[in-house]
Amino acid sequence: MQTDKSGRPGLERVPTGLPGLDTILRGGFLRGGIFIVEGSPGAGKTILGNQICFHHVAAGGRALYVTLLAENHARMLLHIGQLGFFEEEVIPHRLYYISAFRVLEEEGLAALLHLLRREVQARSANFLILDGISAIEEAAPSTREFKKFIHELQAHAAITDCTMLLLAGTSQTATEHTLVDGVVELQSKLYGRRAERVLQVHKLRGSGYLRGEHSFRITSDGIEVYPRTEAVLAHPSVADKITGPPASIGVAQLDRIMGGGFPQHSTALLIGPPGIGKTTLGLHFLSECNRDSPGVFFGFYETPATIRDKANVLGLPLGPLIDEGHVEVIWQSTAEGLLDATCDQLVAAVKRRGVRRLFIDGLQGFDKLAPERDRLGHIFSAFSSEFRGRGISTLYTSEAELIGPVMGMPFSGLALQGVSCIAEIILLMRYVELRSQLHRMISVLKVRDAEINSALHKFTITGKGIVIEPDWASAEEILGEATLQRRAARLGHGSTHPARQ
Amino acid sequence: MALILVVDDEFSVAEVLQSVLADSGHEVITAVNGRQALERLGERRPDLVLLDFMMPIMDGPALLRAMKRDPAYHDIPAVIMSSLPKRVVAQAAGGLFSAILRKPFKLAAVIETVETVLNRHN
Repeated sequence: MQTDKSGRPGLERVPTGLPGLDTILRGGFLRGGIFIVEGSPGAGKTILGNQICFHHVAAGGRALYVTLLAENHARMLLHIGQLGFFEEEVIPHRLYYISAFRVLEEEGLAALLHLLRREVQARSANFLILDGISAIEEAAPSTREFKKFIHELQAHAAITDCTMLLLAGTSQTATEHTLVDGVVELQSKLYGRRAERVLQVHKLRGSGYLRGEHSFRITSDGIEVYPRTEAVLAHPSVADKITGPPASIGVAQLDRIMGGGFPQHSTALLIGPPGIGKTTLGLHFLSECNRDSPGVFFGFYETPATIRDKANVLGLPLGPLIDEGHVEVIWQSTAEGLLDATCDQLVAAVKRRGVRRLFIDGLQGFDKLAPERDRLGHIFSAFSSEFRGRGISTLYTSEAELIGPVMGMPFSGLALQGVSCIAEIILLMRYVELRSQLHRMISVLKVRDAEINSALHKFTITGKGIVIEPDWASAEEILGEATLQRRAARLGHGSTHPARQ
Repeated sequence: MALILVVDDEFSVAEVLQSVLADSGHEVITAVNGRQALERLGERRPDLVLLDFMMPIMDGPALLRAMKRDPAYHDIPAVIMSSLPKRVVAQAAGGLFSAILRKPFKLAAVIETVETVLNRHN
C-alpha cells in the first residue's frame, strides 16, 4: 500500500488508460471508490466504461461489466469490437459481462446487491462497471432505499478494493451525487451547427482535479480526452532560465536590425497581409535548426509536401533538415477539429522532439477551431510560459490587411490580440503600392525592454529567399513617392512619375 | 413439438427466444442462470437446453459440466450461445454441447440450429 509523507495510507489510483482523463483526475479514479459517469444517451458512457475495463485488464486487473438495462450484450460487443482498444482474448477470463436486469426486476435491490458481491468475489474483479443505475433508482421503493443501496455498494467497494463506475443518464435530482466519491459528466454541446463533446468532473473526493469542461471525441480507437490547454499548462513544467546569445532568424540583415536575432526563448509575432512572405521568413527561421536545436513547423494551411517544395524553390535547406529529423512539419486542417486536440498535438511534438525553434504559421487557424474564442488569450499565455521554460524561441504569424503608406494595425482577431499581449517581439510586414508595383516592407515594431530601430526596410523574395535592403533609404524613397502620388491624385494632378511629367 | 429450456441472464434475449421458439411450435421454459436452470431441470426434463455462455451465479460451461455429471440429464442436447469466438467457447465448454450459436444471431439461424439438433437426437 502506498503511504503519504506522514506514513498514513495514501490514496491509490486506478488509471483509466485515457491519458487526458488521467491528467484531469490527477492519475485516475481512487482505488476502492465508487464513481458516477453520467450523460444523455449517445454521450459515450458505454464506450468509456468498456475502454477503461479493457485498459484495466490489459494492466493485469480483472473487470466485471454488469448491465441493468435491457441492452443486448452481443450488440454492445459487436459495436465495441469495432474500436481499437477491443481485445477479444481477454473475455471471459479477465473481463466478464453479465446482465442483472432480471434479478433487479424480479427480486429487487437486496438480491442485486447480493449478486454483485458474489460476482465480484467469484471473478476476482477489482473493477466493476454497473451500466444503467437509473434502473436501480426506478426499482427502489423509496429514495431512502436507493441511498442505502449505494451506501452498501460503496462499503463493499472499499472493503474489497474494487473500484466501481456507475453509468447513469443525466440526473435531475442527483441524490446519488452526494453519496459517491466522484461524478464525471459527458455532454454534447452545439456551437452553431457544429457539435463538440465535453467532459466535466463535478466532484472527486479526497483529490484535486482539473476543473471546467474538457473536450473529447470518439474515434475508431475509442475515446480521446483533451484537457483544457490553459489548465494543463497553468504552471510551466520547466522553470524559465534564459541563457545564451540571440537566436538567428536566418536572414542576416534582419539579425543585424534586431541586434543579433531573437532574444533567447522569446515569443515573436510576425504580422502581414497574405502572400507577403511570412511563411518564407518562418522557413528561414527553421533553416537554422540542427541536431542541438531541432524545430517544428506547425501550420494550418499548407501541407508538409507544399512546405518542402516551397523551401526548395527558395533555396532553403529545409528538406535535408526534415530528412535528418531536425525539423518536423505538422499540418492541422481547420475544417473540423478540436482546439485542445490541436494544442495537445503541438505541445506533444514540442516535448517529443526537444524543440528549440518553433514556427506557428497562422494564428487564425486557432481562431477557426475555437468555439469560445476568449480562451485563446489564456492559451497563448500558457504556451508562452511553457515554451519559454523549455528554452524555445517561438515565431507566430498572423494575417493583417496592411496595404498603403499609413500605419494601421487592425488587431481585430482575438488570436492576434492574445499573442500580441505576450509577444516580446512584433515584426510587421506590409505592402506599399506605388504605381503598378507592390513593394514589400518589414519593420520591427516592438522588442520588449529594448531600444529598437523601427524603420521600414524594403525586402524582396528571391531564389535565395528573403533579401532585405541594408538600410531604410529605398523604403523611404518609395514611401515618399507613394505619398506624393496619392496627394497628386487627390488634387487631380495625375501621375507623379518623372517620365510622365 | 419439443420442450426447450432457455437459459440467459439477458432479459431481451430470453424473451425473444421464447417468442420465436413458441411460434415454431415448441414449448419454452426459462432460467436466468445455471443454478436456476438446474432447478428447472428438476421440475421438467426438456428435450433441448439453449444456454448462454456468460451468466452470473453459474455460467454456461459450469451448467454443462453439472448436467454431464448427472445421469438424469447427461444426454440432453445443449446449444450454447455466445458473442465470443467459437474457439473460446469450445475451449471453455469442451465437447459438452451439440452446437454453438454466435450472438447476435438471426432468427433463421436459431430455428435451423434448434431443429437440426433436435432431429439428430430423436
